[in-house]
Formats: sequence, C-alpha cells, structure tokens
Amino acid sequence: MSTLPSAIVNQDEQYLVDNARRRKQLSIWFYFLCVAIALISVVILVVLMVSIWSQGQSRLTTDLLTRAHSELEIERSGMWPAILGSLFVCGTCALVALPLGVGTAVFLEEFKPTQKVLRWIHGFVQLNIANLAGVPSIVYGLLGLTVFVYMFNVFGQIRVNESAGMEIMGYKHFYQVLTLEPGHVVFAPQTDPTVRQITFDEPFQAVDPDGNPIEISIWTPGTPKPTDPEIRRRTVRSGAIGGTITERNWYYFRLPFDKSFLSGGLTLALVILPIIIIAAQESLRGVPSSLREASMGLGATTWQTVRDVSLPAALPGIMTGSILAMGRAIGEAAPILVVMGAAVAKSSGPQHLMDDAVTMPVLIFNWAGRQQDEFKELSAAAIIVLLVILLLLNSTAIYIRQKVQKAQS
Amino acid sequence: MPTAPLNQYAEGELMSLPKALQNREFRSTHAGAFSERLIVISLALCAVATVLITVGIIYMLITESAGFFRSDAVTMSGFLTDTEWTALQSKELEQATFGILPLLSGTFRVTLIAMLIALPLGLVTAIYLSEFASARIRSWLKPTLEIIAGVPTVVLGYFAILVISPSLQMVSDGAFSTFNATSAGIAVGILCLPMVCSLSEDAMRAVPRSLREGAYGLGCTPFETSVKVVVPAALSGIISAFLLAFSRAVGETMVVALAAGTLPTMTLDPTQQAQTMTGFIVEMIKSESEYGTVQYYSLYAVAVTLFLITFGMTLCGQIIRRRFQESYQ
Repeated sequence: MSTLPSAIVNQDEQYLVDNARRRKQLSIWFYFLCVAIALISVVILVVLMVSIWSQGQSRLTTDLLTRAHSELEIERSGMWPAILGSLFVCGTCALVALPLGVGTAVFLEEFKPTQKVLRWIHGFVQLNIANLAGVPSIVYGLLGLTVFVYMFNVFGQIRVNESAGMEIMGYKHFYQVLTLEPGHVVFAPQTDPTVRQITFDEPFQAVDPDGNPIEISIWTPGTPKPTDPEIRRRTVRSGAIGGTITERNWYYFRLPFDKSFLSGGLTLALVILPIIIIAAQESLRGVPSSLREASMGLGATTWQTVRDVSLPAALPGIMTGSILAMGRAIGEAAPILVVMGAAVAKSSGPQHLMDDAVTMPVLIFNWAGRQQDEFKELSAAAIIVLLVILLLLNSTAIYIRQKVQKAQS
Repeated sequence: MPTAPLNQYAEGELMSLPKALQNREFRSTHAGAFSERLIVISLALCAVATVLITVGIIYMLITESAGFFRSDAVTMSGFLTDTEWTALQSKELEQATFGILPLLSGTFRVTLIAMLIALPLGLVTAIYLSEFASARIRSWLKPTLEIIAGVPTVVLGYFAILVISPSLQMVSDGAFSTFNATSAGIAVGILCLPMVCSLSEDAMRAVPRSLREGAYGLGCTPFETSVKVVVPAALSGIISAFLLAFSRAVGETMVVALAAGTLPTMTLDPTQQAQTMTGFIVEMIKSESEYGTVQYYSLYAVAVTLFLITFGMTLCGQIIRRRFQESYQ
C-alpha cells in the first residue's frame, strides 16, 4: 500500500503555513543572491576598465604610438614596432588558419561519410578538434618552438656570426671592408659561403654602399698614400680583413625559421585553428538542409552545392567566428613569448620573412613586469590601445552579424 | 534518319528547354569529376592536418622529454617525488634538483582559488540568466560576460598586480606577499567565469520548458525549480563546463607569470609565491637557456605533465557531455 505524502497525512495547519512562507522567503532571497552575483561580473569589468584607464591615460601620447621601446628614454618609449609586429604575426596567422580551418569545417560538415569505419574516423577527428581547443596555448608555443624555430635541430642551429641554418633564397653574402677614407666601406661578393673572413691583398671587384660596382685597388703601407677622397674611397689597405655581411630581400627564406615572425604567426595559427573550425562548423550546421537538398535535386554535385549554396549561406557566421578568433590571436601572449622570446628591443617592424618582431601582448607583459612606475603606466596605456583595437574588431563582427540578420528577416 | 529536334516547341510557345539542352552543349563530366575529387582530397587533407597537430604535440613531448629523462642528473622517481625544483635557481647542473611536486602544488593552489571563484559565481550567474533574467537584462549582461571573456589574459595579469594584489595586502595588513597565489587565482577565476557561465547556461537552456512547468505545477518555488529540477537535469553539461574551466585554469599562463611569483614553493599557504608549471615555462624561456641542456629539456618534462592533466580533463569533459547528455526530443 502506498503511503500518502506527510503534508496530507499530517494536516498541521500552522506548520504548513510556516513552511510555505519559509519556502517563498528562501526563493526570494535566492533571487536577490542571483542578482547580486550577476552584478559582480559587471562590477569586475567596470573596476578593470576604470583602474587601467586611470593608470594609463596620462601616457596616451603620440610618442606611444609612433616610437619604439627605449631603456634610456623611458618617458618616450612607444609601441609602434609592436603594433607592426602584431599586424604581421596575425596576418600570417590568418593566411594559414582561415583556409585550413574553413576547409576542415566544410569537410567535416558537408562530406559526412556513410561507411561505418569512416564514420568512426569522422567522430575521432571531431573529438580531436574539441580536445585541441582545450590544449593550453603554451603547449602550442612549445610545439612551435620545436617544429618551426628549431625544426628538431635537423638543419643545425642558427647562431649569430657562426651559422645561418640552411638558406634557400633572397640573400646575398658580402665581405665588408674598410677603405682608406675613414668610415667608408665597400662590399665584395662572397663566393665560398664557408669562409667567414677574407684578407685582401689584390685588386678586386666590389660594390659601394649605393650598390654601384667599382674596381678596388690596393695600397701597400710604405708607398705614398692617395690624398684624393674619390681615390681613397676606391682603395683598400693591403692585408685588410673583410667580415661577412648578408643583404636580405623581403622574401629571404631559410630553414629552420628561428625566432622569426613567421614562426610566431604559424604557431598562433595552430592556437586559433580549433576555434575557427568549431565556429565554421556551427555556422554550416545552421544552414537549412532544404537548401542543400534543392541544390542536389537540381543536379549539383556535393562540391558545387558547398561552393554555391552552403558556403555563401554560412559565410556571415564564418566571418564573425573568424574575426573573434583573430581577436583571440591578437591578445595571445604565451605562445608568442615561447616562440619569439621575451625581447622587446626591436625598433622597427619585421623587414623580411625571417626577421624577428615584437607583438603588443609581449610588450605589455614585459613592461608590466618591470619595477619602474613609468613602464607600469606605459603598460596600462598599451593595454588601452590593445583593448581599443579588440573593440573595433569585435564591433565589426557584431555589425556583420546584425546586417545579415536584417537581410535575412 | 534525321533525329527529331530536342526542342519540340516552336519559338514563342510557352515552354522551352534550358539553353544547354537547346544548343546540345553536353560537357564531358570527366574533368568535372576529377576536379571534384581533387577538391575533396584537399579538404580531407585539411582535416588530416588537425590530426597531425595532435600527433605532432605528442611526438614532440615524448622525444624532447626523453632528452630530459636520459640525463644522469634526473631520475623518473626523483622527478615525481622530489620536493624541490631548482632548474632556474642553480646554474650548476649537479646542484639542480628536478621534482615536479612544488610546481604542481603551485598550479593547484592557483587553480583551486580560481575554481572557488569561477564555479559558484559562474553557476549562479548562469541560473540567473537562464531562469530569472528578463530579455532586457540578458541583452546587457551577456555582452558584459562576452567582453570579460575577450579580455586578453595578459591584461588580467596586469589587473592582478595593479589592483587585486595591493587590495589583498591592504585588507590583510600586509600578510600577503607582493606576488601571491591568491591574487593570481582570483584573476584566473575572473577569466574562467564567463566560460563556466556560458557553458552552464547553454546546458540549462536545453532543459525543456515542460520540466519547469511540471515543477511549478507541483507547487515548487522558483528556487526549488531551478536548484532541484533544472540544475540536475543539466548536470552533465554543468560538470563538463567545470572540467573545461578547470583545464583552462591549469593551462593559464600570462596571469600566473605576472602575478604568482617566480619561486616554486611546496606549501598550502595561499599568501606566498607560487610558481606554476606554466609560470616556470615562461621563466625558462625568458632566461634564454641554451638549446639541448638539461634545463632546456626540463621545459618539455613540465609540458608533458601539464598536457596530460589538461588533456585528461578536456577529454573527460567532452565524453561526459556526449555520453551523459540528456536528450529531451
């Protein structure tokens, strides 16, 4: 026999009334607790913004935007190389991650296999992507360090003035040698890349700093020294020693990549790849299947359907997701720090593919960790610049989303 | 015998065949089929690349940390049980001890504090968003959380040393050292909060209305409905959100590198410095240690530990979400 609930059996009216009141009271308290806790996140955001603004607003000068980091003139340090560096690194990252990510998403969403084994593999790849999204970014940094910077040490290590790795294109080696005119140097082309130093005692062909070929003659000590500056510029003392110098074009390419912006960009691409894939997949999933079926019914192949129907319909979502992923890439510091190092002394943007670079988050990290108050304030100012850039990016994403929603409704 | 014209209707009549049929432009499909296959293969290669990344990570971690464990200065048991980690402090290899426990203890101190902040706050905010908040409140609370989620971690690290650490010192009369586990933990908690909140909220929104209506029909108060009906119904999603947040907190780098200090300590005291695993990796990179030394390889040994913990957590989270997802269709 089933027993009745105690509330019905035990009809103690006073108890029932009290209990109901207590429960209602508790519910109201809980509601206010919810409101209070939800407000905490707003408070956190406000405190964050206000404290950083008040710390950094005095340093928001044109110096900050146009000059480079300087140890000597702390007051006038700036973040222009870092802005350029972030641009290059994130550009590389976008060029690699976007096609790869969208391609993977299209493959996983639109070419779903039917055989059992392939379906199992499909599920495995899917789970793998979800797991990759959870790998800490610093582990990607170490992957970049091993694979791009050192390339498992297969091509040897790059050391200043010792070895340059395996150079492939975009370089010219010269021997740099002083002429008799003080401070004037000429460059003789290097023929044997293993000889790092050469002694001149015979006339040779060379180029001057402007790139014009000139004939260099030799002056032996003891004989009368030429006095005409034009001739002095074309004369080298016998026994002068020339060291190597390399002229690099923008497409200079070598293996391993060393601590270059290319390594940084490729590593960042690995970090945001899972984010882009997941966003693009969700966006493709949102395209109604009736559209695809109509296209198939008209005789289009799967790829034609994807190209002309699914992708255009999913494009706004993919773009929004990609922009948000790029926002993540711009603010990401840990993998860049591991791959490109923590140095911030660079005073210009990257000059060639293998050049190193500073990025904004690394500069902020470096400044924030210093003792001097000036650097702390500069760091806050740099954070404001970074947040403004992120805000612009995110508003673009929201703008696209809203424009599309309007067009679809 | 002349073939009948395909276009049986004279011009001007109502129906006409498509132009391709009228002009008998039948293209060979061979080229089309070939290019289609080419495209599918290249798309498949993209998908394979994602698997290669995982393979690459695992291969890199195994081969490079093998370089660490091969060295005479380290043993596996010493690595797991020693209570000192002095890879950076001692320049001489003989004096360096490599015991992962202090780094682990630092990581878990920071993570624990972060979870104490992120889990309750995130869950209650999620309950509020999914059960109580009006559309207008949602429309500004959600973007607020999205902005917090989008703040770069290095900014939160700066916030920790600019605001959180000094206020902790002020409140406690200087009991906290300048760099301490608590301030880093709070900042990491702020970082995880939006993640816990949005994942739990998604799970709770997936609970069908009928369950709530049933609860209200039986006389439940809003509190009882949300805590005793909706939360248990969404439990798999909430637990997976917790696990994902936990793994995010363990792998968080920039906040701890800035705010948690650089001394590996083996204590439970949250007011002291606490170098975490990620914090050590950053310090090691900053010290620009030579490629190939034991100290350099110790990076990978730490990374293996970090990877195993986060990978396990994420995997559990994913499996729980997939396996135990209640479906209400």
